[in-house]
Amino acid sequence: MIYAGIDAGSRTVKAILLDGKELRVLASGIADQGIKQADLAESLLKDILKKAGINRKDVGKIIATGYGRNAIDFADTTITEITCHACGVHHWIPQARTVVDIGGQDSKVLRLEPDGGVRDFVMNDRCAAGTGRFLEVVAAKLEVSLNDLGGMAQRAKKASAISSMCVVFAETEIIGLLASGETPENIVAGVQMSITSRITSMAGRNITDPVVFTGGVALIPGMDKALESAINHKIIISPEPQMTGALGAAILAGREGLEHVSIIG
Amino acid sequence: MSGCCGKNNNIKEIDPCNPPNAGLSGLTGTDGSSVCELLVWFHEMVDHCYEYACAEKKKGRKLVGIMCEYTPRELIMAAGAIPVCLCGGSVEMIPAAEHDLPANLCPLIKSTYGYSVEKANPFMEMADLLVAETTCDGKKKMYELLAKRHPMHVLELPQKPNNPEAFEYWLYELRMLKKQLSERFRVKITDEAIRSAIVEMNTERRLRRDLAELMKSDSPPLTGRELLDMKSLISCLPVDLEQYEKALNTLPGRKILPKPDQRVRVLLTGVPLPHGAERVMDVIEGNGGLVVCQENCTGIKPVLEDVDPDAEDPLRALAKKYFHLPCSVMTENKGRLDSIRKLAGEYRAGCVIELIWQACITYDVESFHVRRLVEDEIHLPYLRIETDYSPSDSARIATRVQALFETVKHRIKR
Repeated sequence: MIYAGIDAGSRTVKAILLDGKELRVLASGIADQGIKQADLAESLLKDILKKAGINRKDVGKIIATGYGRNAIDFADTTITEITCHACGVHHWIPQARTVVDIGGQDSKVLRLEPDGGVRDFVMNDRCAAGTGRFLEVVAAKLEVSLNDLGGMAQRAKKASAISSMCVVFAETEIIGLLASGETPENIVAGVQMSITSRITSMAGRNITDPVVFTGGVALIPGMDKALESAINHKIIISPEPQMTGALGAAILAGREGLEHVSIIG
Repeated sequence: MSGCCGKNNNIKEIDPCNPPNAGLSGLTGTDGSSVCELLVWFHEMVDHCYEYACAEKKKGRKLVGIMCEYTPRELIMAAGAIPVCLCGGSVEMIPAAEHDLPANLCPLIKSTYGYSVEKANPFMEMADLLVAETTCDGKKKMYELLAKRHPMHVLELPQKPNNPEAFEYWLYELRMLKKQLSERFRVKITDEAIRSAIVEMNTERRLRRDLAELMKSDSPPLTGRELLDMKSLISCLPVDLEQYEKALNTLPGRKILPKPDQRVRVLLTGVPLPHGAERVMDVIEGNGGLVVCQENCTGIKPVLEDVDPDAEDPLRALAKKYFHLPCSVMTENKGRLDSIRKLAGEYRAGCVIELIWQACITYDVESFHVRRLVEDEIHLPYLRIETDYSPSDSARIATRVQALFETVKHRIKR
């Protein structure tokens, strides 16, 4: 049986087709998020079905996850991105015990059970501090691309102090720093540090190795090193770090649903 | 419904037996008409309190506002007055409060003060005296501003629960409150009057305890929200006590929907949920949870311990009960951890959710101990939710709550 997982994130939508028996990824895809989330996800699913040469009616079950999961009306059910990321990471790296996920709009730290279940988790609160959005704003302000940030940070002489945690205020702060003659390199290093220290305080002291890094921000060169030095643990970047949520959703679609578990123990 | 305001009448437009949004409004069950009437009764709690307060004021009785469970209602009742809770739960009152108060302050404090600025809480406007308990720094300093608008007596709460001298000072503070009530209202407060108020409050505490204990069942006959709605702003309204009795007789056996065996049993701890600020409770119960126990001041915490009406010195007996309340302002506050440990077992919680109002420093810091207790000792999943009265983060809270419940189910499955 073939299963589909759709991760409707704040910045991108991801979809995966999975062979339920061999737990093999048949096709995957990613698209920018927009207003009509369900339509975007639907056409993404169609694309990857075509890519894999699979008929829609051969898909057994579809699970949606991510912040926009409830908008994906063609999904059979939804599961939160927390459970899905844990499951997806566990599939690729079974020994993983901590997951740091930095996405477009939120960041989270999960601790995993040996079987890939979630032991506990923390997420950022109301604002986008310490997320991919923060980096996008900075890159735009400095007129560089996201992919340049890693190299810039490496060339920094010292990290500028970015005191504001708020994306909007940090932007103002960066204007001030530029005006005072601070180099863009130092600013980028400072921004990386502010993000990773935010993750560090969120994670607390209970970080268990191995630590796996997921989410779109894991793709930005240098972020793993910055995170590594902030939390003092070795960081493994997950294979396809943007896809772990969708993968987890597809795997869970193939399992017997959690919804039928009786709670009275 | 926006808050504790008698002018707000839209509560009547909702038919609780046929709620527009089943599962969120709480009144969800297969009810006989008697149960239905009962729930309607408590849905209109603010109106009943308002009618009662107006009628009694006309007869010359005094109204005394309180803003914390540390104030012994018995003393106010023994002075012939009516204690009424003034804690604000409305987000709409906060902008007015922020003219005078910092934005980064607990929403309960801001909302309470905002009601005064807007003159929107009829109970506060009617009150002959406010008792201002110095529980936390935020309240303490807000009271200095509130005192410019209302007659006020500051009741100082010492904060070392195991210190005998601190207790003696607390007893002295209660004597001063008694003196204040007695002089202001020109009434002699006799030991007999205190004893009879104790008996009355014990009755209410017992009834509310018994109602809370209905939630111990495998199939609780109420939602947490419905139980929360049974807490009245004015204690010991004779009609409320009758309804509590009736509820205890008619509720057992009632079936709620969604079925309890499909829902995760939640112990909710932390800050109180004043009238109008039930959002997080609704998010929990609207996403697959059932709050079986509330270890907080709008839940079971203040009714767990009674007062001995036959004690030689009834004021001392009162002081003892109230000084035992395990609020996070106390240091150390071991009593709360003991209580959570006990209640999690008795109510067979599947997880613990701790609610913290933004900028509530004491609960915020204390969550360190609670998390440790829950994860390492009781071995239950724990979730900490820090928020204010604004609904802007409801979807984010829902995601966390759903993820927590997925974790609980995963553990059970294993």
